Amino acid sequence: MNLSNAGYRNSKSILFQSVIVFFAFLITIPLIIVLLYIIEKGVLQVNWHFLTNVPKPVGEKGGGIVNALVGSAIMVGVASVMALPIGILAGIYLSENSKSKLAYYSGLCVDILQGVPSIVIGIVIYYWVVLTIGYSGLAGSVALGIMMLPIVIRSTEQTLRLLPPSLKEAALSLGVPYHRVILKVIVPCGFAGILSGIMLSIARIIGETAPLLFTALGNSFLSTNLLKPMESLPHVIYYYATSPYDDWHDLAWGASFILLMFVLLLNIITKVITRKWKIQL
Amino acid sequence: MTPLELEIEQVKSELVSMWMLVQSQLNKAKEAITLYDKDVAHEVLVKEKRVNSFELKIDRDCENVFALYCPVAVDLRFLLAALKINTNLERIGDIASGIAQYVVDSPANFDMAAMESTGLLRMYDEAINILADTRIAFENEDTVLARSIFKRDDVLDDINDNSPNTVAEVIKKDAGLLPEALYILSIIRKLERVGDQSKNIAEEIIFYVEAKILKHAKSSGKLTEED
Amino acid sequence: MENTIVKAENYNAWFGDNHVVKDVNISINRNEVIAVMGPSGCGKTTFLRGINRMHELIPGATAKGKILLDSQNVLDMNVIYVRAKIGMVFQRPNPFPNLSIYENVVAGYLLNGIKVSKADKDVIVEKSLTSSALWNEVKDSLHKKGTFLSGGQQQRLCIARAIAMEPELILFDEPTSALDPISTSSVEALFHELKTKYTLIIVTHNMQQAARVSDRTAFFYMGELVEFDDTKQMFTAPADQRTQNYITGRFS
Ligand SMILES: Nc1ncnc2c1ncn2[C@@H]1O[C@H](COP(=O)(O)OP(=O)(O)O)[C@@H](O)[C@H]1O
Ligand SMILES: [Mg+2]
Repeated sequence: MNLSNAGYRNSKSILFQSVIVFFAFLITIPLIIVLLYIIEKGVLQVNWHFLTNVPKPVGEKGGGIVNALVGSAIMVGVASVMALPIGILAGIYLSENSKSKLAYYSGLCVDILQGVPSIVIGIVIYYWVVLTIGYSGLAGSVALGIMMLPIVIRSTEQTLRLLPPSLKEAALSLGVPYHRVILKVIVPCGFAGILSGIMLSIARIIGETAPLLFTALGNSFLSTNLLKPMESLPHVIYYYATSPYDDWHDLAWGASFILLMFVLLLNIITKVITRKWKIQL
Repeated sequence: MTPLELEIEQVKSELVSMWMLVQSQLNKAKEAITLYDKDVAHEVLVKEKRVNSFELKIDRDCENVFALYCPVAVDLRFLLAALKINTNLERIGDIASGIAQYVVDSPANFDMAAMESTGLLRMYDEAINILADTRIAFENEDTVLARSIFKRDDVLDDINDNSPNTVAEVIKKDAGLLPEALYILSIIRKLERVGDQSKNIAEEIIFYVEAKILKHAKSSGKLTEED
Repeated sequence: MENTIVKAENYNAWFGDNHVVKDVNISINRNEVIAVMGPSGCGKTTFLRGINRMHELIPGATAKGKILLDSQNVLDMNVIYVRAKIGMVFQRPNPFPNLSIYENVVAGYLLNGIKVSKADKDVIVEKSLTSSALWNEVKDSLHKKGTFLSGGQQQRLCIARAIAMEPELILFDEPTSALDPISTSSVEALFHELKTKYTLIIVTHNMQQAARVSDRTAFFYMGELVEFDDTKQMFTAPADQRTQNYITGRFS
């Protein structure tokens, strides 16, 4: 080997590394700026009063976002109840039968669904649900549930596919029937992965505004009736931020801060779950 | 060739070299007797050391192959046979040097007529031939030739069995030949041992080769014998 | 013969059109250790998995012929029963990562939903772990996860899991090929003890292992059972040229 230009190559390599490090650093800057900005604007709005009161009409001081918090919680909860069983079972099917035609086409559908703009999902639900039962929390939940599906399906599938086949063989060699192998071995072993998929899907939908615009609509009063319009965090931000009043802008900043903290928390929990509960294979 | 096969080839060629050396020792000892040449006899005694070191070397080589390659089947049988053949050859080397020692010790030359009448020379030639043929059988893995050794050893046995009479004849004819006659008797006894050793070697050859071609496969597989 | 525990009669196995095991006839005695050797892809695993009916789980896999366990065809028996009577240990140790050592041993009962009292479970766990020479090493950490054990310990845990089902026959598919030499010898030492109670069939690529642990050796080649004989005979004077070429490492 010719070593005469080793010094030159070395410096080229160092240069390349520095460029990579520089850009890696660069992409964190917008994130940090956004975070700091929202925190600066929002943190001051958040207090007990803010968290437990409905918005006041224009001109009145104070007011909070409890209607949005409760509405978001209910809709995400209902969406999860609808989407998780379907998503997890579909994910199990895809990981177990990766070679079948059905798996191929449903996998394709999942990918397409993931790519569908959220506003389109909102419109579809408007035609399907809103036109029959009216603007309601339920309609919003259905829209959010559909948005959760692809994430839950894919993460379940990928988690289970990473489990070594030897695990299934171990159970089968003990005479365990197939459905028990899935329920007692495969799902528990992939639990951390499935759970973090669920967390991520919640973090994803909690900030969705578009599908809620034509479905849950929004409600400035505290409502827990699923069949009535419901407020949500992203919608409250959208609504108050686009209003001409400074009071309401503050409300929007506070809600943004809460939403941001929630998403951040979910991401951190996900990280902790995958690290702590990760099954040692 | 696999490394194991190379090692086995190596042992085999060392054995053949040792075999040649032992054959030449026997030949030289015979030359020493017939020509009463003490120089040749000394040479045999000196070269005996080379035979011994050959034996040690082959022993060590076999040991290493056992330790490093864990040979099985034909390889295992070959190495076991090689160890025993090695010992047998070394004994034959001892016999050659024993005969040479007689020449060194003997005060006078051996009487040619006596050597003829006792069958010593004939026996000597046959012993040398037998040893050479076992070597050929070994090199060619020729079990037919190896089996023929058993028959030919009978010739040596006959001469040996008759030796008390034939030697007695020599002594009766000329009592002055008594010491020589006793040397001749001793040599005959030693040559008989050469026959026995060769027979042992032939048995080893059959053991190692014969279990190798086996009650051949019913259906001929794709595995073929590599030569 | 009364002493025969498993017997294959004209056993054939296919993956789709691929005829992988061809007309195998073999008869294995109680308390014997059988080594199964042969080049990769010759059908050893497939044959082994035919014995405890794991073969039929693969889509497209079919089999013909009989596998008799105590003169009963395994195909006519309940699968749970077959797989309890015929334990299996795999190439890589595969304890259940979500279960403790204790639960792993009784996994055959837990996962099948067979009710066993706590006291009985305790007995089974101790007996099985003792039989698999693991009890002394793990008796103080029974409720830790099985995956914290070393490779050899994990493999012995998997053996205990099979033993807990009170099998008659245990199948091993290259049980030490993923283990280091120390772990390997711990598992090999176990074979000698297990032999007194069970019958073992061990697929192995390690010729010396076959020679060390087995009473008889079966040599498979391209789906056929080429030779089945005393291990000593196989390793000194095999009857078939293909066996000899394989065990001496001479392939053309
Ligand atoms: N799951 C499977 N699907 C299709 N073919 C298989 C499968 N498993 C093994 N085979 C085929 O069967 C043959 C025998 O495999 P196997 O029994 O695993 O061999 P061995 O264990 O002796 O290495 C191989 O040629 C392999 O291609
Ligand atoms: Mg295999």
